[in-house]
Amino acid sequence: MDSTEKLEKTKMENTIPTKDRVIAWPRMGRIDIPLKALLVSLGAKVIIPPPNSNKALEIGVRNSIEGICLPYKLNLANYIMSLEKGANTLMMFQAPGSCRLGNYTKMAQKTLKSMGYNFDMVIFDMYKSKMKQTLQAFWHVTHCINPWKYYKGFSLGFNKFFAIDTAERLLFYTRPRELNKGDAEKCYEKWLKITDETNSVWEAKKLKKQIINDFKKIPIDKNKNVPIIYLIGEFFVLLDPYTNQNIEKELGEMGVEVQRQIMFGDWLEHVLKPSIFYHKESHRERSVRYAEKYMKRAIGGECIETIGDTVFAAKHGVDGVIHISPFSCMPEIVAQNILPKVSKEEDIPVLSLVLDEQTGKAGYITRIEAFIDLVKRKKIKKINN
Amino acid sequence: MKKIGIPRAISYYNNYPFYFGFFNKLGIEIILSDKTTTKTINDGCKYVVSDTCLPIKVYVGHLCNLLDKGCDTIFVPSIQSTGFKINNCSKIRGLPEIIRNIINKPFKMIEPTLDKTEGIGFYDFWYSVANDFEIYDKKLIKSAINEGWKIYNDFHNMTLKGVSYNKALKAALKRKPIEHNDDIIKPLSVVIMGHGYNLFDERISLNIIKKLEKMDVKVFTSLNVTPKEALESIKELGEVQYWANELELTGTSAYYMLKGEIDGIIALSAFGCGPDSLMVDEIAHHCKKAEVPLIHLTIDEQTGEAGFITRLEAFVDMLLRKKRNILTKKPIKIKEYIQNKNIDNIKKEKILAS
Repeated sequence: MDSTEKLEKTKMENTIPTKDRVIAWPRMGRIDIPLKALLVSLGAKVIIPPPNSNKALEIGVRNSIEGICLPYKLNLANYIMSLEKGANTLMMFQAPGSCRLGNYTKMAQKTLKSMGYNFDMVIFDMYKSKMKQTLQAFWHVTHCINPWKYYKGFSLGFNKFFAIDTAERLLFYTRPRELNKGDAEKCYEKWLKITDETNSVWEAKKLKKQIINDFKKIPIDKNKNVPIIYLIGEFFVLLDPYTNQNIEKELGEMGVEVQRQIMFGDWLEHVLKPSIFYHKESHRERSVRYAEKYMKRAIGGECIETIGDTVFAAKHGVDGVIHISPFSCMPEIVAQNILPKVSKEEDIPVLSLVLDEQTGKAGYITRIEAFIDLVKRKKIKKINN
Repeated sequence: MKKIGIPRAISYYNNYPFYFGFFNKLGIEIILSDKTTTKTINDGCKYVVSDTCLPIKVYVGHLCNLLDKGCDTIFVPSIQSTGFKINNCSKIRGLPEIIRNIINKPFKMIEPTLDKTEGIGFYDFWYSVANDFEIYDKKLIKSAINEGWKIYNDFHNMTLKGVSYNKALKAALKRKPIEHNDDIIKPLSVVIMGHGYNLFDERISLNIIKKLEKMDVKVFTSLNVTPKEALESIKELGEVQYWANELELTGTSAYYMLKGEIDGIIALSAFGCGPDSLMVDEIAHHCKKAEVPLIHLTIDEQTGEAGFITRLEAFVDMLLRKKRNILTKKPIKIKEYIQNKNIDNIKKEKILAS
């Protein structure tokens, strides 16, 4: 009992008075927009770390150990940069029992304390007691007791998540088909900005429809023969455009429609919603069903999703799969070992890319181009037969 | 007669005494693969992607060896978690998944799961193994488990007394436990932080234990500490157990560090081992506070023996110089050492003479 109490204490530190708190969290995709909306409506001050860049990576690499995976290095850099900007409360979720992610927060806490920063770390579990712990964490940092504000914050956050997801999906669809290059990108940027600025629940709920209508206005070539590529792999690398060298854009400009299977909104909805209200088959359940032939048990991380999605892709007429993972990611190495067999038996081309801080963009693009050529040729062959 | 093949890798090194007792009681013959050689590693490398860590490559190599021997039933356990939310490394969890998808030869895989987070306990694990051999008699299985424990406990009681791994294993399998072990006093003592499958495999670890003993260094390993002691020492350092199989690393070094009996720590880990990279860092953090020197040696299939020895020798030299310095300059506190007066004198003489 003693140790668990101690553990809870280290999870949610409380040394800074609530009204002085300035909250920051690591970047992961576009998580900054919805989370900012939520925290601001609960009455907190926030600082958003600058986007990941070479400079951020340099800071991260300098202060972390050699063997740790790339996402941690960037997370640490985000913390340091926001602490330098004046943040004093750091938030992060953790999922014990999955992979090294469960060690991130504790390590970061130790490293930052030894660097001499003063801050509170607020950690919440994403394992089984999801909603309760999440609410507790947000109460802890804001001490807001007004339920209306919680309702407003959460529905704003969720609607923004869905809006961003919709915009991304439409962007992936439109980019390879657009007639004037750059239209889709511009439209996407515009709606990101509008989503960020929206401040009422009523307007946030309308966002999704508006985005769909606006993307419809972009002139596209509907009859163009576009190969479809599934983008699968590790969560962070998939969502972070700096780490994956903006692979979605590169692929879109090569005339390929990208479909990313991991969407932040979907994942969050599945994780946070109590199971009574969640009726759809979640992404994970679907993956477990499809991966059954190759994997009988989940082994942590997103390994089973990777395998399940590849099989799903093969069964639904997708032309190819690109699998990306950070260097030395344990679950994805297992996936990499399994993928060649899946590729052979399901007859689907798979390209595995490993990313680390030294990945050169030129070599990376060459490999993708060669792969796309292969996929296109295979598709033409199929049509001719 | 029923036969089962057990690769001489991963769980073999810590759990073989148990396997031996269990399968023998059920009347199943055990076929072991040959000891690790460079060929084993090369065989393993053919099947897996290059990023995979060395122990898994070795495991696959041993599995190929078993298949070459004509063994068609192989034991590939998946140990997911050993406590609530205390999980293993992904590659050990997914061992059967890897094997199933990379080896295209026909063979039967016995793949039980131990997952205490999901409520699949120790007995379920062994029942499922026995059921695969069409043994359903629960009484017999239970007695086999007890038999396994008996040999396992014998083995561990011996190693706790300080008997070396190979000696203890041989004695335990012959059911003739060695009662007494003559303790040799050596000037230096170090802890080797490493998994059993790295440390006791003579090819992978490049025989590090023997090399150190030749340099007059006493070596402590995870086998010299009970899991309970290990867990308590970790708690005393203010850490929580997160990985299932990292306890043998962190627990051992924490135990001896708190006891204050050792001069240094040698961390031996395979290249690209995820959990090790974190846990060695965690221990290094505490080492800095306790002023215990630590060296981190990384091994992979290309490790050259010469460079390895040089680093080891340099480290031992440094430890010796440090200890000599302390002994000659500072007067020894009589209160602390009064019990082991004789031993300490011998130690001091040895150090000053060398």
